[in-house]
Amino acid sequence: MYLALKEIRHEKLRYSLITGMIVLITYLIFILSGLATGLAGENTQAIDSWNAKSVVLNRDANVNLSQSTITTDQIDNANLTKNQAVIGQSPVVVKSHDREKESAQFVGLKNNEYIAKDLSVANGRKARTSHEVVVDQQFKQDGYKLGDKVKFNSATTRYTIVGFTKNAKLNVAPVVYGSLSTWKDLRNMPGAKLAGSAIVSKTANFKSHNKELKTYSDSYFVSKLPGYAAQNTTFGFMIGFLMIISLVIIAVFLYILTIQALPTYAVLRAQGIPAATLVRTIISQSLILMALGIVIGTGLTLITANMIPFGVPISFNVPMLAMISVGLLLMGIIGAAIPARKIAVVDPVQVIGG
Amino acid sequence: MSVIELKNINKYFGTGTSRVHVLSDVNFAADKGELILVVGPSGSGKSTFLTIAGGLQTPSSGKVIVEGQDVDQLTKKQRDKLRLNHVGFVLQSYALVPYLKVKEQLEFVRRVKRTGLLSSEDLQSLLAQLGIEDLVDKFPGQLSGGQTQRVAIARALYANPEIVLADEPTAALDSARVAEVGKLFKELAETRNKAVVVVTHDMRLAEFADKTYEILDGKLGLKQPAQETY
Repeated sequence: MYLALKEIRHEKLRYSLITGMIVLITYLIFILSGLATGLAGENTQAIDSWNAKSVVLNRDANVNLSQSTITTDQIDNANLTKNQAVIGQSPVVVKSHDREKESAQFVGLKNNEYIAKDLSVANGRKARTSHEVVVDQQFKQDGYKLGDKVKFNSATTRYTIVGFTKNAKLNVAPVVYGSLSTWKDLRNMPGAKLAGSAIVSKTANFKSHNKELKTYSDSYFVSKLPGYAAQNTTFGFMIGFLMIISLVIIAVFLYILTIQALPTYAVLRAQGIPAATLVRTIISQSLILMALGIVIGTGLTLITANMIPFGVPISFNVPMLAMISVGLLLMGIIGAAIPARKIAVVDPVQVIGG
Repeated sequence: MSVIELKNINKYFGTGTSRVHVLSDVNFAADKGELILVVGPSGSGKSTFLTIAGGLQTPSSGKVIVEGQDVDQLTKKQRDKLRLNHVGFVLQSYALVPYLKVKEQLEFVRRVKRTGLLSSEDLQSLLAQLGIEDLVDKFPGQLSGGQTQRVAIARALYANPEIVLADEPTAALDSARVAEVGKLFKELAETRNKAVVVVTHDMRLAEFADKTYEILDGKLGLKQPAQETY
């Protein structure tokens, strides 16, 4: 550690450049992971807020909420308790006089079931009648106000916004919470005995007792959301590649610096300085540089997060960022391993001659 | 008893027709209190002799005994320990860590060795004797060749080894400094009871040596006075 710190302090420019590279990589990884988490959150925020452990869909819906319809006959034997709620979901275009149109996900609820009961309203109140809706905070950001009258798609019925709720996004669209009867109107299937799109359960082992329905775990249901897995895999690969790039950068820089300093290390070895002391030096150097890069990168990320516009879906998962930081430190150790090996086997005789 | 002994040392480099016999049946011993010079022309095997004596490389045949220990029988770690505790190397080039100030070069030795070092007073007197007491806050890049060499000597002696092996320690020094280093080595050998072995071209050191050996064509022999210089 002594040699490591002394060298970094003496060769400020050289080590600033390496740290700068690590800062940029860390910053990029953190921002990307923030965007990945943010986007993933916008797919699942509403589902997460329901605290669902399992979801029952129509077996033929291919695990797709939008494609699923459940009839009243199908849930006759379901024995719904306070831990289950029937929801009806439908994509809608929200229109209002002198406001921008807004693409949203309508989620119909029963007022006496747990999702409606547990719904947290940030401004206003919960819906009491079928002509009232609670909408995601994004509507507020887009200029909508409490008391605004809205229409859905081409329908003429007007609904009043009575509350705003936070973190209510589904498939990257803001959610409009209304009644199940409104959802039925939106589906426009006269004569069909529709109950909803899905049964959401707070328990994992809920059974519908109907062979036309199937229960899926929450995680499986989420993984099958349209585009969700592909998007997360893409971000995962980008972050993975950046980790590998950080490994290559630290390895190449330290290797070059080590090769330049090899005669000095050889002389120290000749004087009996244990190889382990010198190997620890190079690993300490790598860890110091990585830690410095991560700290500065985190600072830049925080500044960016505070400046980024509201519409950009960015969210930071601290445990995940901590894991990425540990991963980067590990990359630093692995990156230092190659030059460390060079030091461990350096032959003082080659420098001294003979 | 000799602190360092080389018995029937042979060293070959290469194989087949390109095989070179660098050291041939070399026998050598140094006692505490002695300053011994090993001289010889370039390529005569002086550095090979020094690196074998210091346990940095093994002979093709023969034995090296340092402080009663057969170096060949020691593991790599034990040889490191032997050099750190008993052998001080003063080398010709790359001797100093470029990013450590003079005082930090010594501090690094202290951090690694921890015990058996010179006392602070002895260190101060050593630095004064070498004329480098005002250079402690300088980096190697700010020193002349001679100053660098003197700092390298100070660093080796700070570890307080019983044996000092020096490779061309006066190569970059003027005659006055050579005389000082010669006196220092002599004093070190006599007053501090060290065995000092200096491999050099520099015959200006001969007047301080108790014995002068010469290596010619891989053979080591006592050099007779008034022979040619290198």
